[in-house]
Amino acid sequence: MNTWEVTTLAERSAEALSSSFWGAAGYLGLAMLGMAGFVAVLGMVLIYAERKVAGHFQCRLGPMRVGWHGTLQTVADTVKLLLKEDIVPYQADKMLHILAPLLMFIGTILVLLVLPFSPIVQVADVNIGVVYITAVSGFSVLGILLGGWSSNNKWSLIGAMRAGAQIISYEVSATLALLVVVLFSGSLQLSEIVRSQAEGWWIWRAHGVGIVAFLIFFIASTAEINRTPFDMPEGESELTAGFHTEYSGLRFAFFFLAEFINMFLVAALTSTLFLGGWMPFHIGGFENFNALMDLIPAGLWFTGKTAFLVFVLMWFRWSFPRLRVDQLMRLEWKILLPIGLVNLFVAAVVVLYGLYFFPVR
Amino acid sequence: MDSVTMDPVKQMEKASQGSPNHAAGKGVIESPEIKRGGFLKNIFTGMISLAKGMKVTFHYFSHPSTVVTQQYPENRDTLKMFDRFRAHLTMAHDEKGQHKCSGCQICQKACPNASISVVNRSNPVTGKKELDRYVWRMDSCTFCNMCVQVCPFGTLKMENQFESSVYDRRLLVYTLNRYAGPTAQVLGKLESDEERTKQMEPRDPYSGPTPMNGQAMAGVAALGEKKGEGESK
Repeated sequence: MNTWEVTTLAERSAEALSSSFWGAAGYLGLAMLGMAGFVAVLGMVLIYAERKVAGHFQCRLGPMRVGWHGTLQTVADTVKLLLKEDIVPYQADKMLHILAPLLMFIGTILVLLVLPFSPIVQVADVNIGVVYITAVSGFSVLGILLGGWSSNNKWSLIGAMRAGAQIISYEVSATLALLVVVLFSGSLQLSEIVRSQAEGWWIWRAHGVGIVAFLIFFIASTAEINRTPFDMPEGESELTAGFHTEYSGLRFAFFFLAEFINMFLVAALTSTLFLGGWMPFHIGGFENFNALMDLIPAGLWFTGKTAFLVFVLMWFRWSFPRLRVDQLMRLEWKILLPIGLVNLFVAAVVVLYGLYFFPVR
Repeated sequence: MDSVTMDPVKQMEKASQGSPNHAAGKGVIESPEIKRGGFLKNIFTGMISLAKGMKVTFHYFSHPSTVVTQQYPENRDTLKMFDRFRAHLTMAHDEKGQHKCSGCQICQKACPNASISVVNRSNPVTGKKELDRYVWRMDSCTFCNMCVQVCPFGTLKMENQFESSVYDRRLLVYTLNRYAGPTAQVLGKLESDEERTKQMEPRDPYSGPTPMNGQAMAGVAALGEKKGEGESK
């Protein structure tokens, strides 16, 4: 059977460093360029997809004019955003105002670094990947809070405070759900978590706790990235545009891009943790079936799962109404958190006493 | 959609408050009657309800035939406008070119923004009152359909043609009747077609009084100018 050797760009660069400095620099440059290009292209594709999907969910067509079926619409919009005047409000905290979108973007990029796209496409395989992701995703809260605070605008401030309360609350549930997978796979390393799902994905191999954890993680992550139905921080019907009311031009583009890349990240993380990431669909023991599934490249599995979850996120957005702030808090503290805690407890008992009915490594 | 399924959280809070009827007596604003269930049951019904909503939106997503957007300039040839679309007020003329407007001016009185003026005259032969010009100003019309509804003879109609943009606002003042003369009913009592055509003095859409500040333009006679002068270029 396939052993799934994982090689990361960081490893290759370290290898190259032993022979020549320039080889290592080449790998690092490749990683940086790849990430930059990936982020830009992915942002455009996701925005186009969102607009198209939204259109069809609402009996519309979405962009149709620029290019074939509006495919170049996002390019045109990006050019427009780049050329727009960048306005900093009067008496705003100028430095923080400039810093905020960058911080938000940094949080996004840092998570992207450890994401296993396929066995051979991963920038760095940190052995505490899960903890790392939980830690660096906090940057986006900081970005939102600073953006709202420095804008010298009440709507921005309210939006930012809502975002802060919301993201910090839902972080708890997301982490609890994530710990279930860590318990089952026995590792914090993302590539190791993916490889532990070679017999079947955790969503159904984890005795029902998996699917509860999946739901909690997905809901909590949707709230963390401020997407509808949890988009109170933006809340355009109440707060104009929330924390980015005062942003325009390139800085707004950064917020916007980070938002969409975050959506991709949530989908990618959920698929990595619960749906096997790049691991093909395997059923433990069915060797021929597994070999057949291995014919589809690992990267394609990852892309497919992530695309599906992105679609589900969009589906959520265009189906559900926005929650009220108090409803949001109650959903977290009275529903998701208790269930998450009980779920984690059950998972711990299962792992501790080995109550598996499937072969474990 | 009942509020049970929409909001499990609210429902839960409701359940812990006790009977809704109890609080209602104290002037507290009550949300609609909510079925009470346990913690897990509420979550379950809530998720079922969300799934129902997602099913509805997915139906729209998966059925492109539900799309209502028209790709207008491209599908101009095949575009079919809707029955209730209101754009261009027209006066119905039958196959002999006769209309049923008696010039009663009810539409003029019903018009909320004075876009209609019905000009009557006396018939040169019989001396009876008849329609001379039915002037409709599209530039001030709000397409409220009142004129069509009040017309006792059903002679007015809102047509679908919406491509009315012109470079001169004077071109939006139309004369709707194609002839000045008696109604189709009166004309029907005459013996021959010759007599009928004798009583029908032709009117074209732009021959009416237009607010041109004394200026003329191709095809449109200026106010106060004699008919035909503006048309002769």
